[in-house]
Amino acid sequence: MKPRIVLAAFIIPLGLIIAAIPQNTTVPYKLTAHQLLAESNLRSKYVSPEQVAHMLVSKDPTLQLIDVRSQDEYDKYHLEGAVNIPITDLLAEKYAYLINQEVKMNVFYSNGTVVANEAWMITRQLGYNNNYILEGGLNYWAETILNPIKPANTSPNEEFARYDFRKAAGTALGAAPAETLTAPENSQPATAIPIIVKPKKKKAAGGC
Amino acid sequence: MGPLIVNEIITENTNLLFAFLIGIGFGFVLEQSGFSSSRKLAGVFYGYDAVVLKVFFTAAITGMLGLLFFSLFGWLDLSLVYINPTFLSSSILGGVIMGAGFIIGGYCPGTSFCGASIGKIDAFVFIAGLFIGVALFGWGFPLWEKLYLAKDLGDPKVSRLLGISDGLFALLLILVALVMFWAAELAEKKFPREEY
Repeated sequence: MKPRIVLAAFIIPLGLIIAAIPQNTTVPYKLTAHQLLAESNLRSKYVSPEQVAHMLVSKDPTLQLIDVRSQDEYDKYHLEGAVNIPITDLLAEKYAYLINQEVKMNVFYSNGTVVANEAWMITRQLGYNNNYILEGGLNYWAETILNPIKPANTSPNEEFARYDFRKAAGTALGAAPAETLTAPENSQPATAIPIIVKPKKKKAAGGC
Repeated sequence: MGPLIVNEIITENTNLLFAFLIGIGFGFVLEQSGFSSSRKLAGVFYGYDAVVLKVFFTAAITGMLGLLFFSLFGWLDLSLVYINPTFLSSSILGGVIMGAGFIIGGYCPGTSFCGASIGKIDAFVFIAGLFIGVALFGWGFPLWEKLYLAKDLGDPKVSRLLGISDGLFALLLILVALVMFWAAELAEKKFPREEY
């Protein structure tokens, strides 16, 4: 038999198979369901408002707050230095360098924690590291940092220390010293996301 | 799982080792198939020998089927595979220059080193020309930089352009290749050349 016929006998069926089968478009998840479940149950995926406040006040450059709410909500109020990646755009190519990186500590936040948790879960599934969730979301942020409740006189000293820290941090982060206060409107200018096109793929050299 | 480097399964150095081993295999096969003879490559143009066409087309098809099946089995993430960006003008011009070089010199860069390794003088001359060309291109780069970067198409795929799936395009390409092999063998019969 001619080599050409032998070759054809092999590659034509293979070609037919590959043409008939739909393309594999599944996003490769790096974690198994069990691993993800185990990580979801860990407290370590949360960052407390105190820690975020401390990093904000000390202008820690490793902190990257990511607001996963809609653009409107972000424009109304957002934390200092936060960038806006609406959850619907989470997987957009232009944000990939932000959520898939090894340098900064990304903290997702939404009003509660549901949407931030979604973002965390998806990025974690994709194998991205350094992504965290603001504990309790913005609502809890407002309760604890912007508008902390004065502990009772009989509380232990630690309670007072925490209250003092929250009060100081809240004042530094834009809350008025008055005790009854809600989130200030439009306190921060929107942080523009610089679009960096980062060639991630390895360039191949070669040819005949 | 794959690509191995992007997913940090192997390091860049291990990759170089793999490249070295594959390179040895590639060179061995080229030499054994007679690619170290400049007449073999020139034969594609004159029609008396289509081995080069058949070998490289078969390699391309094997690679294509391998990538598609690996992707199908979930062994390889095709979105992470680097696609060389296409600059249309320089691709066409480069193709013409390279093709002319093939006919005149009888080698492509890879096979010239094959020929040199078994001491062919014309292969050494070809390699000298290759380095002169590289140097001229580098020194004169500001002159043709504009042309070099003109008509940037990004990383186009024919299947995307035609609006068909990668698999269907693969099948079409296989059929085209087989027809080409058949036509090439007809040409070999039509323009035979004794001993080269």
